[in-house]
Amino acid sequence: MNEKPQYSVMLFKAVSYVLKAEKILKKEGLPHKLIPVPKHISSDCGICLRFEPPIQSKIEAALLNKVEIEDIRALKD
Amino acid sequence: MSKIKTVDARGLSCPQPVVLAKQAIETNEQVKVIVDNDTALENVKRLGTKQGCDVKVGKKKDGVYEINLTRKAGAAGTKDDFIASCDATPAASGPFVIVISADTMGRGNDELGYVLIRAFLHTICLQKEKPDVMIFYNTGVKLTVQESEVLEDLKKLESEGVQLLVCGTCLNYFEIKDKLAAGTISNMYDIVDTMSRSGRLLVP
Repeated sequence: MNEKPQYSVMLFKAVSYVLKAEKILKKEGLPHKLIPVPKHISSDCGICLRFEPPIQSKIEAALLNKVEIEDIRALKD
Repeated sequence: MSKIKTVDARGLSCPQPVVLAKQAIETNEQVKVIVDNDTALENVKRLGTKQGCDVKVGKKKDGVYEINLTRKAGAAGTKDDFIASCDATPAASGPFVIVISADTMGRGNDELGYVLIRAFLHTICLQKEKPDVMIFYNTGVKLTVQESEVLEDLKKLESEGVQLLVCGTCLNYFEIKDKLAAGTISNMYDIVDTMSRSGRLLVP
């Protein structure tokens, strides 16, 4: 077991997409956290959703055809 | 080219060492500053960094330090005045306080404001310099109760020694006093006292 969880972030084109995605994930009970886009990743929108990689496919399935995801990136540290 | 200018600032009191060091580095590529107190050491180091120098410190005996400043290639140095901090404690003396006066950050749009305050608190957790105290009042108290989406961040801050003062009147008004999950219930006396004593007060 890793003591520190590894995270990935999901990037979106606009804040409104993040909010829409967040609503869906909350409804589906998929854990996530809204955080500022990490400095080393560039994004227009500035806000993204952080999650633990094991649930990535579930998140993607929940958002499919509902919210367009721009990118998914692994977070170091 | 490799001539080193030496500034012996031993026995001089602030701001003399940093003034002499500044004059020297403006006209020399490499300067060695000798100081004999911590305040001068810190001020000269900050000066060096600000002037775009490589800063190397060597500790001699009896509290004497040698600071080697080497101008980096292309670093022109800043023209603006460098303000030396002459107090033993460079930061203001009172606590660093952050006031969370709402469950939003900024005014105008609450949905956006709620996004921003969450991002703000997440980022505060990542900062090296944490506040000493955080004060929550008005709708800000909603962030400290069960089911708050920033609870994890607040608990982390609390575990790192940040004191969280939560307005009791506000918890009472929103009828969520029994749901408090981070911080301690506080009152206007403590809130005003903390704000009045603060060295720095930040309201996002």
